[in-house]
Amino acid sequence: MLILRAVLAAAIALIGAVVIVRMLGQGVHFEILPGLVLGIAMVALGTHRLSLIMRIRRGST
Amino acid sequence: MPTDNKPELRRSVTPWGSFAWGYSDVGADIFVGLGLVLAAAAGASNVAFLFAGIVYVCIGLAYTELAATYPVAGGGQYFVQRGLGDVFGFMAGWAVLLDFTIDVTLFAWTCVDYSSQLAPVLVASVHPWVHFLVTLGLIVGLCVLNIVGVRESTAFNGFVSALDVVSECCILCFGFLFTFRPELLIHNMQMHWPSPYQLMLGISLAIISFVGLESISQAAQETQRPASVVPRTSVALILTILIFALSYSNLALGMHTWHPILDAHGHQMQFWEIFPNNPDNQGKAVALLAQQIPYFGALAAFYVPVLGAILLLISSNSGVFGSSRIAYAMSRGNLLPSIFQRVHAKYRTPVISIATFCGVAIVELIFAALPSLDPNANAVYARLFRGESGLDFLADLYAFGAATSYSFVFIALIALRLHDPLSPRKFKIPFNIPVRVNGERAEFPIIAVLGFLGIGSILVFTLFTHPIGRIAGPLWLIFGLIFYLFYRRGRKLPILRSHKQDWRKQQIEILRSAGELELMDEYLANLKAHDERLATEATA
Repeated sequence: MLILRAVLAAAIALIGAVVIVRMLGQGVHFEILPGLVLGIAMVALGTHRLSLIMRIRRGST
Repeated sequence: MPTDNKPELRRSVTPWGSFAWGYSDVGADIFVGLGLVLAAAAGASNVAFLFAGIVYVCIGLAYTELAATYPVAGGGQYFVQRGLGDVFGFMAGWAVLLDFTIDVTLFAWTCVDYSSQLAPVLVASVHPWVHFLVTLGLIVGLCVLNIVGVRESTAFNGFVSALDVVSECCILCFGFLFTFRPELLIHNMQMHWPSPYQLMLGISLAIISFVGLESISQAAQETQRPASVVPRTSVALILTILIFALSYSNLALGMHTWHPILDAHGHQMQFWEIFPNNPDNQGKAVALLAQQIPYFGALAAFYVPVLGAILLLISSNSGVFGSSRIAYAMSRGNLLPSIFQRVHAKYRTPVISIATFCGVAIVELIFAALPSLDPNANAVYARLFRGESGLDFLADLYAFGAATSYSFVFIALIALRLHDPLSPRKFKIPFNIPVRVNGERAEFPIIAVLGFLGIGSILVFTLFTHPIGRIAGPLWLIFGLIFYLFYRRGRKLPILRSHKQDWRKQQIEILRSAGELELMDEYLANLKAHDERLATEATA
């Protein structure tokens, strides 16, 4: 279960990074803002979840 | 408030249970909100979600701080009553009650809409009477189930939530990898940017995708060690919901569909263009989006409508349960008559509360369904309310109730920070200005002010752009205030002032029953230091 959650968290962070790169590839203007915020939120959530999972794993070993 | 020997709620909700509880409530909102916002805000739908999402993050942080500090059922109503007094507590609770009753109807309605994706006999525009009767049957069924005391289990909530999170992550991953075209998104934003009126309408509808944060505080009373668990699960919940709302709206605008979508003349349409002026599509937007994802869409076309319908039904049920619980809490706080505390002799459930607010939900359903059922009513709605559909009617009131109660919660947060600085806050919203109030060090929350301005503007947008919401919403509040006035007068309780309560004693009891003994000790030490300082000042 923990591994599945870690995979999901890593996938979200990765997709977030992809979204950021693809939005920035369009140049810097107002229209990329919602996509950029989305990418940042995905990276933040993914890393937040991963850090929690790592903490749980460290606690159990 | 567990101040006497009456039975208390058992603290059995785990961190995942706390997340699932919130997710099954707030997570269903995007299933309703996406289509409505795409129809209203067109090329600026993602901006509407971004604006509402930023306000939602502020609201989420406020609820997290308050729920971790005062982990009692009652939520916004309790915080506002404690921070601003009885009248405002009543108004906040009454607005939440409106939202819960709308929640029952709106989510039962969209549950039927999602089911119609697989059972065409349920399509509202084709078979309005069938749609109405099935929705009515769902509401009556939920009412009966709640009266006999059958609730979905936390385990079932957790299972459905987990399935939905995985499913939405798949939609998101496949969608952004295979169908998302950033250049198409930017093109749509530039070519289909709405008028300011439509943008305001879109923003006011986008907030309904983030309603249900009451569940954070509802869950707090039943969560083990809430001061530690609630902030952790809330942050994950807030980010998850924000991501899903932003990703769906960005995907919908920048989506290169798997199968071409054609209009009546055979011209190719973009995905978002299937929503304006089409309430049937608006009611099942996520299912329509999921089936346009390459590869994954073939599978999603079958299970997303079912998953959506189940999640929406759970959310509808949380409206029945939540309204009865809020009414019960308000009754115990002397804001509503004691009849709402009355429990059924056999089933031990608040039967009067459940039946009353399900009755209100049915009245709302009748008003929402009237235009599609009766041509004369349709003509009246067209003349008075610009022909709003049933879904719009429910969304109007939902947005009004949420914006009103959240506005009060922000003010209550500021008031409690200043008036109750001694209560230990394990989680505190960042960005504060240190101030001194009556000799005590307090912190003024800047985020709460920004959040209040944000939700205040959404309330103004709601009143400005929703012809039904601007009439029915304030009428609901006025009716409630008149009721409150007569009730308090009849009970010989102060009408505009607050009934005296020992908040210190209550706070100690709240922390003790939550198992937060360290925080209770800290609170007692703060009280002792405060009293000693006052005594020293008095003798000096």
